[in-house]
Formats: sequence, C-alpha cells, structure tokens
Amino acid sequence: MTADDLTELTIKEAARLLRLGSISASDLVTAHVERIERLDPHVKAFLRLTPEVWEKQVEESERRIREGNAPPLAGIPLAVKDVLCVRGVETTAGSQILRGFKPPYTGTAVARLFEAGAVMLGVTNCDEFAMGSSTENSGYFPTRNPWDLTRVPGGSSGGSAAAVAAGEAMISLGTDTGGSIRQPAALCGVVGMKPTYGRVSRYGLIAFASSLDQIGPFARSVDDAALVLSLMSGLDPLDATSSDRPGMEVLNNFGAGVKGMRLGVPREYYDVKGIEPGVKAAIDAALFILTRAGAEIVDVSLPHTDYGLAAYYIIAPAECSSNLARFDGVRYGLSEVDAANITDEYLQTRRKGFGTEVRRRVMLGTYALSSGYYDAYYLKAQKVRTLIKRDFDEAFKRCDAIVSATSPTVAFPIGSKTQDPLSMYLCDVLTLGGNLAGLPGISVPCGTSDGLPVGLQVLGPQWGENVVLRVARAYEEASETKAEVASVV
Amino acid sequence: MLARIGLEPDDEDFYAEQLSGILGHIDRLQQSRLRDDEPRRSLTQEEALANAPAPVDGFFRVPAIQEEA
Repeated sequence: MTADDLTELTIKEAARLLRLGSISASDLVTAHVERIERLDPHVKAFLRLTPEVWEKQVEESERRIREGNAPPLAGIPLAVKDVLCVRGVETTAGSQILRGFKPPYTGTAVARLFEAGAVMLGVTNCDEFAMGSSTENSGYFPTRNPWDLTRVPGGSSGGSAAAVAAGEAMISLGTDTGGSIRQPAALCGVVGMKPTYGRVSRYGLIAFASSLDQIGPFARSVDDAALVLSLMSGLDPLDATSSDRPGMEVLNNFGAGVKGMRLGVPREYYDVKGIEPGVKAAIDAALFILTRAGAEIVDVSLPHTDYGLAAYYIIAPAECSSNLARFDGVRYGLSEVDAANITDEYLQTRRKGFGTEVRRRVMLGTYALSSGYYDAYYLKAQKVRTLIKRDFDEAFKRCDAIVSATSPTVAFPIGSKTQDPLSMYLCDVLTLGGNLAGLPGISVPCGTSDGLPVGLQVLGPQWGENVVLRVARAYEEASETKAEVASVV
Repeated sequence: MLARIGLEPDDEDFYAEQLSGILGHIDRLQQSRLRDDEPRRSLTQEEALANAPAPVDGFFRVPAIQEEA
C-alpha cells in the first residue's frame, strides 16, 4: 500500500487494516504527516502541528492494538479546529489576542475522541472566533480550497474541512454557529455534521454565541461522521446544556434507507435568492436519486426564512459581544498591561488583538443590547427565533427530514466577498435556520458545478440525528458519490 | 410577617391549607435533575496563572482602576 492510499482510507477501512496488522498506527500517521508537509504549504489548513501529542497517542494506540483491545478510533488521524481547548497545546481561536495561549485543560468532545484512540495531528485554521464563512478572517492567514487553490474553503471551520478534503487528516472537528461546519463541508466536498443543540458538550469550546454553538465532525463518509459523533455525544456535568440522551442513539436504524420516507423541500430554500444554476441542477439530480431510492418528495414552507438572517445577525453578535468581554488582557492572551489606566488597557489590548470582523460584530452586539435599542433589536430577534422554530415544527409534521442545498454557491474566489460583509453573511442563509431552531443537520457531497463541489443539506427534527444520517447515507449509497481526496498539486 | 400582609384570625387556617397545597406542588422542582454542588478539583493557582501576561506574587496584575487624586 502506498502512502497516498493510506491517506484516502475511511475509518472503517483503516480500522480493519490496523486490526489485521497490515498497517500500523505509525504508518497511518506518518503517511498523513508527510502529506501535510507536501501539501499544506499550498492549502494552509493547519495553524500548527502537534508532534508532542501524536507521538504519545500513536504509541498508546499501537500498544492497545497489540493487546487486542483497540478502541474504535485507535490510530485514526484527527485535526482539531483552533477553538477547541487541548491541554498544553497553543489554542488561539484564529485570533492574535490569544497568541501563545495554552489551555490548562482539554475540552470534553476532544477528550472523548482521545479516549476512543484518535491521534491528534494538529490545530486547524478558522475565521477569528469562528466569525466568517471563508476562513479569510483568520488572524494568521487564509486557508485555500484543495480543489482550487484560488478559492476559499468556506468557513468558519475552513481548515478542518480543507484538511479532510486534502487527505491531510482522516477526520476533523469543527464548530457550527450558523453553518460553520456544513458550509465548508459543502465547499470542500466532504461530509460535515452539526448535531442538535445539547447533543455534544461545549465544555472547552472558546464560546462565540453560546445558544447557537455546537461541535461536530468532518469526515469523508457518512459512516465515519456518524461514528465520530456517537463517540463524542452525551451528558457532561461540565456543560449544563448537554443532554443525557445516549450518544449511540444517533446510529439507530441509520442504515435503513429512505424507502417510504417523506423528504420536505422548502420552497424558500429551493428558490433562495442568489442560488447558482449549477447548484440547483445538482440538487435536482440529488432529489431525483432520492426519489428513485424510494423517498417521497413533499413541498413544505418555512415562511420566516427571510427574517432568519436578520435575527441571526442580532442574536449571534449580541452573544459574542458578551462572550468576548473576557478578553481583557488580564488573565490570558495579549495584554497592554502597562497602559496608564484600566480603560486604556482594555482599549489598546482589544484594538491590537481583534481583527476587523470581530470588532464589527462586538460593536453590532453591544449596540443591539444597549438600553433603548434592546427591545427593538434583541427582543424582537428572540421572538423571530421562536417563529422560525415553529416554521420547522410545522414542516416536520409533513415530512421526516428537510433537504436543500447547503450553500447557494460553490467555493468563491479569495477576496471576492471581503469588502462586503453582508454578501459574506448571505453564505449562511440556508444553514443558520438550523442553528436558530437547534436542529441537527448534515452536508454531504452531491456532485459538482463548474468542477467545484456542491453540498446537499439534510435537516432533521430535534434529536433526529439518526434520521438525518439515514437520509445522508442512503443518498451516498444510491448516488455512489463518495467524498474524494483532492489531489491539490 | 415577611410579606407584611395583615390577616384576620380566621384567615390563617384558610391560607395555611391552600398554601401548603401549592407548596406541595412547587416542591416538584426539588425532584428535577440538577447536579449537586460539590467541591471538586479545579485549577491550581499555578495553572490559573500560567497564561497571565503579568502575574505578580500569585496574583493577576492590572493597571490602577482609580485615577490619582
């Protein structure tokens, strides 16, 4: 087996070869690290590599495989988005304000994957504090799309999506506040899943908008995404919003196919403003394949979709302005501690440490929360959020799952949206409803448009991850479109 | 006395009975599944200060918060 073959494996295939002894955990990790060394100077998915972590984890995996009690992810190469704390590993949320920050603890989702045997290769790039849809807002450098290096990988979890698409990691972790897992998965041609709010503990996640944030996996197959999700789900006493539902329930019946299922196509999503004809054609083809596999397509409506974007861009900045108040230059991160007084210290630290988009959103958020404007903006947005949730409740009375494009466009050229923040915000128009309503959603590759990947989004009712995965898996099987590894150069 | 509401002597039994019924219902809250508040291992002082830009003698250093007179 060549090194390139090893970087194209799925977990299922790799686990079998590892147990047979045909390959070792060290072979697998070395092949990925070599690929990173060769390709990542072009893709720039990683902010930093973590040999000090993987060396120990490879040794541990090999020991457990040798002893015949290999955990499910033994030796599987994992990349971690730069917003998830790992003890002793520099974690910066893509921001200069946290340069040098080494968390004193590891977050729950990552810790659970480590216990399951995953081997961490490094930390992936993202938009600063996960705010963005292209990874161009990183405080370090932009990441490039492995399918076309002149284009963005999407965002905010662009590094994690690109790493899996380029074969630099077998799986990765991202976070999704308005589409930050699903949209880059679509643009990079991989599988990306956002769980139901509360499915995965957020302990150890550097918070952006706490009522919307969820951690989820990227992978090159629906099976792999489902496995990783099941392993990191479940109750955590350290996150009061985490559910006590068993993680393994996400796998219930998920191989059963779509025969007899009703799939809702919301007309507001199908005809969303700005959807590219090539994307629409790919979705039509996907709907045809799902019908042929036995699903019934039904027309549904999400009438408040238009207000969703507005509500989201009040709620998310409001929560971020509050969450980011902790970056005050006192306890960690960048500090202008020699300033004349405490106010100057805050102003100088935050001026130097935060990038343009973060400052923009903190200002938007503090404005929306200020007395006098609170009722007109924040309170109104919360009411609209309830209406959006009701839209989904109504739709799910008529269908088992909702299908649409994940993103109205394919990957766009680097720099093409950076001067117009509103055009960037519109990237999330099909995904952020799922966050406002707390629903599970997945993006799976569904063909290409102009040679660039298109993603099919499947949304399910709350706690319906198994339904979402079932539709995604049935599509993957019926369409025979497996996520491929980009050759890059 | 806490509520500063005067009651007629007859009212006391009337309210006592009604309120204990209501309180009995409200007591369901005690059964809801909340985590016990138990002390547990947290960060050591050294760990908590490890990322501090300017620790001094085991404390975080901050600029003066009051202007000089």
